[in-house]
Amino acid sequence: MLDKVWPLRFWKLGYWQQWFRVVNSANNVAILNPRQIYIIPTRWGLLYAIMLIGLLIGSINYSLSLGYYVTFLLASLGNIAMLHTWRNLVHLQVAVLNSKPVFASESVAINLKISESKNRPRYVIGAYFNQQSEVIHDINANDALTVEIPLATQKRGWQSLPRLTVYTEFPLSLLHAWVVIENPFQFLVYPKPSDSSNPNNLSADAITQGSSMVTKGDDDFNGHKNYQVGDSPSRIDWKASSRGIGMYTKLYSGAEVHTLWLDWADTSGSTESRISQLTRLVMDAHATQQIYGLRLPNNEIAANNSEEHYHQVLTDLALFK
Amino acid sequence: MNQLLNFQLLKWLLVSLAAVLATHTPNLPVWVIIASIGFGTWRFLMDKYRWPFPKIWLLLPITLLICVGIVFTFKGFFGRDASLSLLMVMCSLKLLETKNIRDYMLVIVMAYFLVGNLFLFSQTITTFGLSIPPLLLLTATLIHISYKNADKPKPIIFYLKLAGQLLLQAVPVMLILFVLFPRIPGPLWGLPQDANSGMSGLGDSLQFGNISNLTKNSAIAFRVQFKGAAPEQSQLYWRGPVLWHQEDRSWTMSSNKIGLQTESLKVFGKRIQYTMTLEPHNRLWMLMLDMPTLIPHDANLTHDYSMIAEKPIRTRLRYDATSFSSYQLGVNLGERERLLNLQINEGENPRTVQLAKSWQGLSAPDKINTALQRFRQLPFVYTLKPPILGNNPVDDFLFNTKRGFCEHYATSFVYLMRAAGVPARIITGYQGGEYNPNGSYYIVRQSDAHAWAEVWLANKGWLRIDPTAAVSPERIENGINDSLDETDELPLMARADYPWLKKAYLNWDSVNNSWNQWILGYDDKKQLDFLKKLSGKNMSLQEMLMWMIGIIALILGLTAYFLIRKQKAKLNPAQRLYAQYLKLLKRAGLTPRNGETTSDFATRASKNLPNQKTQILDIAQRYNVITYSQSPNPELLQDLAQCIKQLNIPKQS
Amino acid sequence: MQNTIQAILRATSQIILGKERQVKLSLTCLLAGGHLLIEDVPGMGKTTLANTLAQVLGLSFRRTQFTSDLLPADIIGVSIFDLNTSNFQFHAGPIFTNILLADEINRATPKTQSALLEAMEEHQVTVDGSTHLLSQPFFVIATQNPKHHIGTFALPESQLDRFLMCITLGYPDALSERALLKNQGGRANAGSIQAVCDVESLLKLQRLVNQVHVSDALLDYLQALIQHTRTQTAEGLSPRAGLGLRQCAQAWALIDGRNFVTPEDVQAVLPSVVAHRLAQESDVAKQILEQVAIP
Repeated sequence: MLDKVWPLRFWKLGYWQQWFRVVNSANNVAILNPRQIYIIPTRWGLLYAIMLIGLLIGSINYSLSLGYYVTFLLASLGNIAMLHTWRNLVHLQVAVLNSKPVFASESVAINLKISESKNRPRYVIGAYFNQQSEVIHDINANDALTVEIPLATQKRGWQSLPRLTVYTEFPLSLLHAWVVIENPFQFLVYPKPSDSSNPNNLSADAITQGSSMVTKGDDDFNGHKNYQVGDSPSRIDWKASSRGIGMYTKLYSGAEVHTLWLDWADTSGSTESRISQLTRLVMDAHATQQIYGLRLPNNEIAANNSEEHYHQVLTDLALFK
Repeated sequence: MNQLLNFQLLKWLLVSLAAVLATHTPNLPVWVIIASIGFGTWRFLMDKYRWPFPKIWLLLPITLLICVGIVFTFKGFFGRDASLSLLMVMCSLKLLETKNIRDYMLVIVMAYFLVGNLFLFSQTITTFGLSIPPLLLLTATLIHISYKNADKPKPIIFYLKLAGQLLLQAVPVMLILFVLFPRIPGPLWGLPQDANSGMSGLGDSLQFGNISNLTKNSAIAFRVQFKGAAPEQSQLYWRGPVLWHQEDRSWTMSSNKIGLQTESLKVFGKRIQYTMTLEPHNRLWMLMLDMPTLIPHDANLTHDYSMIAEKPIRTRLRYDATSFSSYQLGVNLGERERLLNLQINEGENPRTVQLAKSWQGLSAPDKINTALQRFRQLPFVYTLKPPILGNNPVDDFLFNTKRGFCEHYATSFVYLMRAAGVPARIITGYQGGEYNPNGSYYIVRQSDAHAWAEVWLANKGWLRIDPTAAVSPERIENGINDSLDETDELPLMARADYPWLKKAYLNWDSVNNSWNQWILGYDDKKQLDFLKKLSGKNMSLQEMLMWMIGIIALILGLTAYFLIRKQKAKLNPAQRLYAQYLKLLKRAGLTPRNGETTSDFATRASKNLPNQKTQILDIAQRYNVITYSQSPNPELLQDLAQCIKQLNIPKQS
Repeated sequence: MQNTIQAILRATSQIILGKERQVKLSLTCLLAGGHLLIEDVPGMGKTTLANTLAQVLGLSFRRTQFTSDLLPADIIGVSIFDLNTSNFQFHAGPIFTNILLADEINRATPKTQSALLEAMEEHQVTVDGSTHLLSQPFFVIATQNPKHHIGTFALPESQLDRFLMCITLGYPDALSERALLKNQGGRANAGSIQAVCDVESLLKLQRLVNQVHVSDALLDYLQALIQHTRTQTAEGLSPRAGLGLRQCAQAWALIDGRNFVTPEDVQAVLPSVVAHRLAQESDVAKQILEQVAIP
C-alpha cells in the first residue's frame, strides 16, 4: 500500500536495494568482503542516538563530567557495536546448493549453504529474498549451515534467482548490516495446475480416444521384462534367475489397466490454460499410478509411470513455448 | 519482529532495571521506589502466572495518580528531582505493557538515560563505580533481546561476557571523546532551583550556632596545594566574608553598594603561592589565605578584601592565588568606615557596655589586651555544645555561661571592642587544614569553619585578633580535634582516635582529589590547558575536532582489524613446543601436509634429514603420547623440549 | 595379551600371504565387535581368510552360499514338529556359530538379507515366538562380488551401515603370488593351522578395546572428520558410523600395542569404515583425510 504513495517508496530499504553494490557469486560462492557490507542504524539505533543527544545536552547544561563519561561511553558502545555487527557478517561464504521443483505460485525452498571459516561463531544471521519470509540462524565457528529460504514463484520454466539479502543486527540491534548477493543459479518451476474441478477437464471420451489399449492385468502371462527394484518378488522369474541368465520379472496382462495419453489437442483455451490443464492431468494420473504419456505439438513422451517420468513430463510442460 | 519474548529475557530486563533503581534510591522519594518495585513485581507475576496484561482503564488512572503524586511531592513537573522521579516511575509502569521487542527496546533506552541522570546528583568515584553494573546489565539484556534464536537460548554468562567485552572495547574511544570533545561551558539555559540544593558552606551572615553546626559536617570545603613551603598551621586563616553589620542577633556583610574605598594594603616578606580547589557551595565567595594580593581574573575583591565570584559557585572551582602573611591593611580609616565599625545595637547587653565603659582611660591596644586577658583568666570553655543564651546574648555569654564556640568569642569580642570605641569587625572563614602527604596538599573541611576578629589601630591598620586562641590555643595550633573534649560531636574524619582509618581516609581523599582535579574539573579551560601542554600550542576548535575524528578513526580501524583477524586457537604447552619443531623443520623446507599425522610427517622428514632421524621420531612419539594418552607423565613435556633443543637443522641456502 | 594378538596375526599371515594389512583390518573389525564385508571378485581368498581367522581364534565356523532361493529359515533355522515328542523342535540354522561366512550375500533376496542383518544387529533370532541367543562372539564375514550384478540384490545403504568395515583383498603381490604358486600358504595349508586363542581370551580382548584411551584432542579430530563428511559430501556419516570409527581406531591401537588412540589409527581404519557408507565416489576416504586438518 505504502509503496504507492510516491515519497514513501524511498522510505523502504527495498527501493534503494537496486542501487547498492552487489556481491557476485564466483563459482557459485559469494564471499562477503568487508567493503560490500552496508550498515545503517535501525530505528532503535536512532532512538539510542536521540537518547545520547539528550544526555549530551544535559551534561553540557549541568557541566557534568561524569555525564559526559556516560554519554561518550554509550556513544562509543554504539561505534563498537557497529564493528561487531559488521564483523558478524564479514567473510561469510554463501553458496546456492539446490532447490526442489515446485508448481508455479507455490513457494520454492532454495537451499543455501552459509559457511564460516574464520573460527568464530556468528549469531542471528538472517537471509531472505523478500522480507516476509526470512530465516534466521546461528552459524558455528568453522562450520557450514544449510538453510532453506522460501521464495514465492509465479511463472513456469527456468527462473533466475532474485537478489538475496543476508543481514544481521547482532549484538545490540542498534545497527542493521546487510549485503546483497546475486547468484546465476536457476531453478525450475512447473506450470501451475488448473483446478481439479475445471470443466475443461478431459472427458471420459477423450480418455478412451487417447488411450491405446495395451493392458496390464493379472490374468495371462505376457512375457518378461528386466527386473527393476520394487517389482514384486512373487513376479520374479526365479527359475530363470537360477539358470544364471539374470533377473526377470514376469509380466501378466489383464483387462483393467490401460495407458493414458494426455494430448495437447484435447485441451482448449490459451497456451497457459492448456498447459495448466495438462499439468493437472499429469498430477492426477501420477497420483492414481496410471501409466501415461504426453503429446505436445512438438514433442511426445512415451508412456511410463515412474517418478522420473513424472518429473520429465512436468519439465517438458514447464519449458513448453 | 513482533514476536513475544521469553521469560528469561523478562527476568533479566527486570534485574537490570532493579539495578538502575537501586543506584537511584537516594534521589527518589519513597513512594516512587515502592511504586517502581511494585510495577516490576506485577510484571514478573504476570508472566509467571500468565495473568492478562492490564487494560487501559486500569493503566490510565494509575498514570494520572502518578502525575498527581509527582506534582504533590515536587510542587510541579519540572526540575531535576521531579523529572527523574517521573521518568523512573513511568519506565517501570511501561513494563506493564511491554509485549514485544519494540517495548523492550524503549525501556532499555530509557534505562540507559536514567543511568546518565545519576550524575546530576553526585559525581563521586563511588557513583561512578555504581554506574557500571547497571550499564553492564542493560547491555547484556540488549544483547539478549538481539539474540532472537529463542529456541537455542544461551546461558546468561554469554550475554554478560559479550556485554563486558563491548563495554571494554568502547573505553578507548570514550577516553578520546572525553579528552578531545570540545567542552562547551554550561549552562545552556537556567538551571532549575533545586539543581544545587544540599551544598553547604559558610553563610553570608553569622548567628550563634551557625558555625558550630557547620563543624559537624565533615564535607570538604576546599583543597589547597602550596607551591613551595606551606605556612604554619597557626597562620592558615582562610578569609571569607567580612561581617560589619549587626542586625538583631546576627551579623551581616556590609553592602558593596555603599561605595566604600578599597582599603590600602602593604605586604612584606615571602610570597605564598597556592592553588585552591573550591567545592561548590552555591554562594559567591571564594576563600583566600590572609592577605591576598593576586586574584583570579574572573573574581572581584571587595573593599574589605574578601573575594567574590561573578556568579554563585555551583561547580568545583580551581584557581591560583598569591598571598602574604605579613601585611598592613587599611592604615587610613575613613570616618564613615569608622562609624560603621563602631555600630552596635542600642539598649542591649548593658553589662557588656558597662564593662567597656570602665576601660575608658586605656589605650586601644590595652583595651584589646584586657579583653583577651579576661577570656584567658576567667573560666571560659571552648565547646561545641554551648548553652542557649538569653535576651542579652553577649552579656549572658560573658558573665554567665562562659561556654561557647568560636562564633561566640568572635562576636562578643567585637561587640566589646565596639562598645569600648575600638573599630572592629568579624571575619568568617576557615582556619587550619589537614595535610595529606599523598599528593602533598591540604584538605580544609566544613568542620574547620571559624570566625575571628579584626580591630583597627591607628598607624597599624586592621589587625587580626583571634579571641578563640586566647581560650583554646590548641584550636589554632593543632586543629579542631585537639581542642575539644567531647570529640564524639565531631565527624569521624575530624577525630584523631583511629590513626589507620585516618591514613586510609587520606589515601582515599588524595584519589578523590585527583578525581576532582582531572575528571570532574575537566572543563573548557582545563581542556585547553591540557591540550596546550600536550601539543605545545593553543589548539583551535577545528584542530581539536580534527584530532578527535582522526584518532577515533584510527582506534576503530585497529579494533576492526583485531576483530576480524582469524582467531587463533590457544595452544597448550605441547602444541607450543610442537610449533617450534615445525618452525625448525620449515627451515629445511619441510611442512606437514594437510591431514598428515605427526608420525607420518616425522617419517617423511627423517627420510629427508637422515642424520636427525632419531630426534625427529622421538619428538613425534613423545608429542603423540602427551597429546593422546591418558594422564601422560608430566616429565615427558621437558623431555620433548629437550629433544627439540637437540634438533639441529641447518638453514637451507 | 599383546602376545596373543601378535600370534594371531602371524598365524593368519602364514596362510593369507602378502595381505598383512587386510588381515589386521579384519582382526580390528572382529575386536571392535563389528561385522565385516569383503568386496571382491571370486578366488581372491575371501573364504580362506574367514576360515583361517576362525581356526586361529579357535572359533566355530560355518559357511553359507547365498543364492536367490535361499530362505530366511535356511540361515536362521526352523521349528519342525517332532512326532515322537509331539513338540515343535527348533533346528538351529548355520547362523548359530561364531564366525559366519555369508558368501555372495547380494545373491539372496532382500527378505533373506534383512533376516540375516537383523540377527547381526540384535545378536538373537526369534522363530515362532521363541527367542534364541546367538553365540558369543558372533562375527559375520559377508562377501559380495562387485562386478557381476545380473541377478543380484544390491544391499541398500541402510543395510550397508550395519557392516562395521568393508575391505577388498585385491591381487597378491608378485612375491606372494610366487609363494602361492609354490603351494606355500593358501587354502591347501589351512588345515595345518593351530588355534592360538580361545573364546575366553577373544572376549577379553574385545573388552580391552573399550579401555583404550581416546583423548579429547582425538575426539575433536573424529568430530571434524564426521562433520566434514556431512557438509562436504553428498551423504554424511551416521552417528553409528562415527561410533564404529572410534571403536575401530581403538582396536587398531590395541593391536599396535598402545593404550591410547592417535590420529594414525583413525587414518588407518577410516577408509575401510567409511567408504561403503558414503556415496560410491572413488577415493572419498582419501579426500576426507586430506581435507580435514588434525587439531
